[in-house]
Amino acid sequence: MADNQTDALIEAINFTQMLRASVTKVFDNLADGFQDSQGNEKALLNEFQKSLLAVNNDFNELERVGNGLYPLSVNSPNSVHLSIDPATDKTPLYSQLIQSYKWSNKAHELAGYVIGPLDQNAKLKRSMLIGSTLQAKKLRRVPPSGHAATTVYVDNIVTRLDQKMPDISMSITRPLGSSAILQVSLGKILKAVVALRGLIIEWVTVKGYQEDLYSEDGKVDLWSQSRYQVFRKVNDSATAATLHFYSPHNAELALQSFLHWFQSYKTLFSAPCSKCGKHYHQGSPPTWRDLRNTDPYHDVCKP
Amino acid sequence: MGVVCVYPYPVPEEKSGQQVVDTIQKQLELLGAHKSGNFFVDCESYQSNLQTATQQRLLHLFHNSEQPATCFSVLDNGMCLVSDLLFEVLILKLAEKKSGKDSYYQQRKGFKVESKGQRYELGDFIIKVGSVIVASNFRGILIEVEYSPCVIPSECWNLMKEFIQSFMGNIAENPPAHIKSKMDTVYTPEDTIQQYLEHFNNFRKATSASVPATPNR
Ligand SMILES: [Zn+2]
Repeated sequence: MADNQTDALIEAINFTQMLRASVTKVFDNLADGFQDSQGNEKALLNEFQKSLLAVNNDFNELERVGNGLYPLSVNSPNSVHLSIDPATDKTPLYSQLIQSYKWSNKAHELAGYVIGPLDQNAKLKRSMLIGSTLQAKKLRRVPPSGHAATTVYVDNIVTRLDQKMPDISMSITRPLGSSAILQVSLGKILKAVVALRGLIIEWVTVKGYQEDLYSEDGKVDLWSQSRYQVFRKVNDSATAATLHFYSPHNAELALQSFLHWFQSYKTLFSAPCSKCGKHYHQGSPPTWRDLRNTDPYHDVCKP
Repeated sequence: MGVVCVYPYPVPEEKSGQQVVDTIQKQLELLGAHKSGNFFVDCESYQSNLQTATQQRLLHLFHNSEQPATCFSVLDNGMCLVSDLLFEVLILKLAEKKSGKDSYYQQRKGFKVESKGQRYELGDFIIKVGSVIVASNFRGILIEVEYSPCVIPSECWNLMKEFIQSFMGNIAENPPAHIKSKMDTVYTPEDTIQQYLEHFNNFRKATSASVPATPNR
């Protein structure tokens, strides 16, 4: 396709040159003037008509080829104007633009090939299915179901995670209907309220060991902040982490990863910063935990 | 209420107590601490007066401005009763003479100890720079540092140590003796009182050892 285009372009350029030549010829003749020295008026007129016909032919040819051309950069036809920018240092811009357009087209095409094989490996649940079955499965996109998990399913998963993580103890309440509220406590360090929608984490509130998770009317208090600076900072990190681990297609793993990360706060007061090696910085211990390896850092020491 | 460490701060011969207090306060303000009012911890002592008992027992009655509705009563064997302020009225009743009979308890005169001064906050840390006054004479300086979010001393000791050393130097190389024995248990306001009792007793001993008041008042 691209080669055709190039050929057509070259052809069009040739015709343009021919048209220019024939037009120049006509005007040259006109400019020189017709001097009827031998009374051969008819011959002169014939010659003039011939050159006009040549112009006409060339023009038709050019129009034909020109119709077969289409603008190269469909997305930004205005970029064509770059090529007619009179500033000399901008002249190469257009050709460079065309080059990069081609290049990105190619990259897009290659990426299209690559996504197939990669997608098979990216699935966390590896299966032995190959060929057409997998193809069919891939095409039929499963809609996210994390938010629609049943209460029994959520209960089971939470119980299992509770057993799996020795440092965390969890309990479920459902003050707002079917959505579960997890009360997570981490030793004698801190506790948190995690509001779930199905299995998806919607809200996290972190408080100190001595602070009450219930408001005065006996309901779980989702909204009020901790009295202590350090837990407010942990709260901010935890909210950011829920977004980091968010995965509606695999909400169970998301919840598990979040809790695993949250577990690292059992050393909130005792772990030194991984960068500066100190505990204390401006009134706080290291309150940030790396999302991948859970290393502790001060706010200002984050990698 | 978090973990509290109380340390005595030495007052050099050539300086007055007020000068040292000013220096510490200036240093705290440079670290970014801001003033948050005044504080006091005081202690009065009563002596048991029972004829049948073979030896006299002491009862120390504490108030701490951090727990304004509470009074702490500590026996000389370390037993501590945490009660409502009204309990004090009961003690006062017991210290009254009634129709010729001796009272059960007798207040020790000139034994009142008090530490009071400025309270500072820095992040979740609460710092109190207290001047210790025994029988209305200045006797020394006690610095109290509290890390309020944590209740287990062993968890936050290293953090507190770094912070305390940043303005007090090497005085805080080890946790206070009282805490050392219970690093892994939940800290309570009672533990603060026990620390003050120990320091107050030391100041009282120093006072009775050098009867003429020290010149650096
Ligand atoms: Zn750091």
